[in-house]
Amino acid sequence: MSENIFEVRNVTLRFGGVVSLNDVSLEMRRGEILAVIGPNGAGKTSLFNSLTGVYQPQEGSITFTGRDGKALSIIGQKAHRVANAGVARTFQASRMFSALTAFENVKIGAESHRGIGVLGAMVRGPRTRRGEKDSDALTIELLDFVGLRAKANVISASLSYGDRRRLEIARGLATNPQVLLLDEPAAGTNPAEKIELTELIRKVRDVRGVSILLIEHDMKLVMALAERLYVLNFGSVIAQGTPDEIRANDAVIEAYLGSAATAEEK
Amino acid sequence: MRAFLRRPIVRRFFMIGAAMAALEVMTGPPGSTEAPTAGFAGSFTQPSPFFGLFSTVRWVVFLFLAVVIWAIVTLWSIQGAAIKRSVTTVTAVPRAATQRKSVRRGLGVVLLIVALILPHVITDPFWQAAMVEQIAVYVLLAMGLNVVVGFAGLLDLGFVAFYAIGAYTTAWVTGALPTPPLFGVDLNPFFAIPIAIAIAMLSGVLLGAPTLRLRGDYLAIVTLGFGEIITIFANNLYGITGGSQGTGVIPHPSIDLGPLHYVWGLTPVPYYYLTIVFVVIFLIAFSLLEHSRVGRAWTAIREDEVAAESVGINPLKYKVMAFAIGASTAGFAGVVTASQSNNIFPSSFTLFFSINILVLVIFGGMGSIAGVVLGAVLIQTVSMYLLHSPPAGYQSADLYIYLGALLILMMIFRPVGVLPSRRRKREIGLAESGEGHMDEVLTGDTP
Amino acid sequence: MGAFGHYLASHFTTLQKEFWYLLVGGVANGFLYGMVAVGYTLVYGVLRLINFAHSEIFMSGGFAGYFLMKALVGTTVPSGLSSIGLIGLGIVAGGLVGALVATALERVAYRPLRKRNAPKLAYLISAIGASYFMFNLAGKEFGRYSVSVPQPYINHAVFHVFGAPVLMYDIIIFVSGLIMLFALDRIVATTKLGRSVRAVAQDAETASLMGVNIDRTIALTFVIGGALGGAAGFLFGLGTGVVYTMGFTPALKAFTAAVLGGIGNLRGAMIGGLLLGIVESLSVVFVQAAYIDVVAFGILVAVLLFRPTGILGERLGRAA
Repeated sequence: MSENIFEVRNVTLRFGGVVSLNDVSLEMRRGEILAVIGPNGAGKTSLFNSLTGVYQPQEGSITFTGRDGKALSIIGQKAHRVANAGVARTFQASRMFSALTAFENVKIGAESHRGIGVLGAMVRGPRTRRGEKDSDALTIELLDFVGLRAKANVISASLSYGDRRRLEIARGLATNPQVLLLDEPAAGTNPAEKIELTELIRKVRDVRGVSILLIEHDMKLVMALAERLYVLNFGSVIAQGTPDEIRANDAVIEAYLGSAATAEEK
Repeated sequence: MRAFLRRPIVRRFFMIGAAMAALEVMTGPPGSTEAPTAGFAGSFTQPSPFFGLFSTVRWVVFLFLAVVIWAIVTLWSIQGAAIKRSVTTVTAVPRAATQRKSVRRGLGVVLLIVALILPHVITDPFWQAAMVEQIAVYVLLAMGLNVVVGFAGLLDLGFVAFYAIGAYTTAWVTGALPTPPLFGVDLNPFFAIPIAIAIAMLSGVLLGAPTLRLRGDYLAIVTLGFGEIITIFANNLYGITGGSQGTGVIPHPSIDLGPLHYVWGLTPVPYYYLTIVFVVIFLIAFSLLEHSRVGRAWTAIREDEVAAESVGINPLKYKVMAFAIGASTAGFAGVVTASQSNNIFPSSFTLFFSINILVLVIFGGMGSIAGVVLGAVLIQTVSMYLLHSPPAGYQSADLYIYLGALLILMMIFRPVGVLPSRRRKREIGLAESGEGHMDEVLTGDTP
Repeated sequence: MGAFGHYLASHFTTLQKEFWYLLVGGVANGFLYGMVAVGYTLVYGVLRLINFAHSEIFMSGGFAGYFLMKALVGTTVPSGLSSIGLIGLGIVAGGLVGALVATALERVAYRPLRKRNAPKLAYLISAIGASYFMFNLAGKEFGRYSVSVPQPYINHAVFHVFGAPVLMYDIIIFVSGLIMLFALDRIVATTKLGRSVRAVAQDAETASLMGVNIDRTIALTFVIGGALGGAAGFLFGLGTGVVYTMGFTPALKAFTAAVLGGIGNLRGAMIGGLLLGIVESLSVVFVQAAYIDVVAFGILVAVLLFRPTGILGERLGRAA
């Protein structure tokens, strides 16, 4: 069985004439908390979208290897296929099913990988009922896990930013993933929420055994959480290593300082 | 002067006045190419009784109405909040009650009993026929389209195609087409039910699988075109469909099971009961579906397709499924219509039909099963009433003018319908306040 | 293979014989489709939605032209300069009424929804309602039967291309279509209004920050699209007659043309219109006349499935 859950080899992604990812290679080991950092517009979200089948890079390969040892080539796969293979994600600006309750949001995640069964749904047969019961139980368990059980029946649009992040994590976990991709989970949260979120993310890995890939701006959070980092700038990997190594890397400091003045919020 | 005209209270008067003038023309006498202004002029100048008090001309009546409505609206804008509050207090108890499952079920049973005894109360042959052909069947159709438009959020403007497919399949298996019947023998229309449902469903899948990848507005146009194409084929394939002459005689269904003998004949009431049985079955099935995994997946796709995919939902599969369910419901309704009327003609399967069903769904409330049933019963009853005892100057095709106006009015004032689904109401509210990602599905503007 | 080969061969012989004749008719239709298609494309550019009621703008232009011709031509047989004058007047009348109807449409069916930031589904339904309302109201007011328009010219063959007659009617459409489409292209490319339209099409929010009046620009877009659609309605009516449902099929085809050229792309719509008109006309050789509409529909579905951005791509922002 491969040690690496993700293997990204020489991936290039272009939009018209704009190169969003340029010959990016990286690997992610099973069970680690890995972070991708970089200035705005460095290609972090493009990388995420390529890993989850939302974007289709023109060159290179991305291989996801599941716990069962089966390798899946991500490029060319539909997003829902990738999700079903065990890759869950959250979005930069949380994307929930806003008109549904927290409970329903997570439940949709919990039952999405079951078969469809229209007839079963229309007659509500025993299998359907059993499935419902299982998903309900998993949903409650996960809401409890992220600390939202008390808010199970709140419409998700009226949750706070911090709670939305937790809800997205719970929804992602409900799909029974092997890796969870978090796109700037700390954006829009207050310092107290940030600390809680850090603990939650670590708990996801430690308790549920889900590997974590993280994009983040908040350096404090990244340095506290990540075991390894990749640094992207202008679509290319400019450095990789442990938090201590990255902190001492001149190229990284250059990239951040050099672009800080011109960085614009994407 | 300009400032005066711009004051909300004055502007409102002109807007209501314009709306009343439009209503006047809609309800006025018809014109023709020989006398193109006769309709417009007559709409204002024809004599008309003033609410039974004295006789005057139409514009006086409508001006009076405009003033009354203006006064009510103005009063509402000043006192509305207070009135709303007191109304809410009064209706709080019944509203809370209707949220309860047991109460809802009880209400459903009561309505069902009313529906069952209705043919014994209303014995007028016009209304008995209308109850089957124009109300019960349309309830069925509205429930089917609701799965597509309400549950899955897909605008299908060619619903008539599947209804036509169901009707023509019935004619086919019962041997009423110029082409030989499907199994070589003329079958009882009851056997047409599974076949028609299967064929309609199959055509739903065949049309849907490629086109449901398209953005929502493109889908609307493609389905619109598809509805027209089916009519063109029905009209022109003389050797297969009988062309514009229509089909041959379609036999009435009959049951012949041991001691149980029954032949549905020319009287509408037995068809009414048959249709009601299926309405109840579809009603239960669809409401279970709404609250099942499938219903939740549709909601997820409708609200945010990208997020839905990220949790492993295959949008295309669920959309095709909604399309197929809607199509098979329409196909089934086609069987009922075909076996009840003696023969069918391509002229019954037009755009007008598709839009008519859409109005029922929109008026009742997209996504709300109770709403669309209510919408179908209300609108179809009114339109049958207009057909049965038309007011002066009313032509039967004028109905479409009213339906068109109703669609615009609903979208402006109450897009969620008269009896909205709670999910849909929240969704539209959230979309209007800039939350959520509903529009991406429709316009394909993914970030 | 043999039978099918024979079928093809015999039809190609017909195609050779009839080619120029069909081409002339196809180009004439193509100009009409193009004129209606630009209306779809313009509105799509600024509002990002398909104006389902555009068919009724076309219809109203047709009726405006009909009544004007009935009043001015009556039973006379005009020719020469008076023909040109009458046709000009008809185009102006069709255009004016089309613009008027488009404005009313925008006011009643679209603006209230825009003010409320309604979901796009609401716009589509409202537009469908408006279309339904308008054509059925026209049916009530003007009768529900088709009438032919009194002809302001003598429809003789003016000259021949490879033996195929080019009729006066075709020439009228070529000339007026060329003038109008060229004028539109220049308006959008060079005037201040055109700049605003392009700015709104590219990014409404930024445009409004730069001082573009969005409401006015959208209203004017409807006016321009409506004027062309109404004028096309008049020209169409001259050849085919007018009836309250006349908008449906030509509009569906014009929409196909707009998508074919790349919706939102002005020149694309014109080219798409011509292309569709020609293909449709030539297909008469291969399919029965009753199925011509099926051909157009097939093209629409094929384009949407295989090249949804059209031939020239979607880009009103950079059109022209």
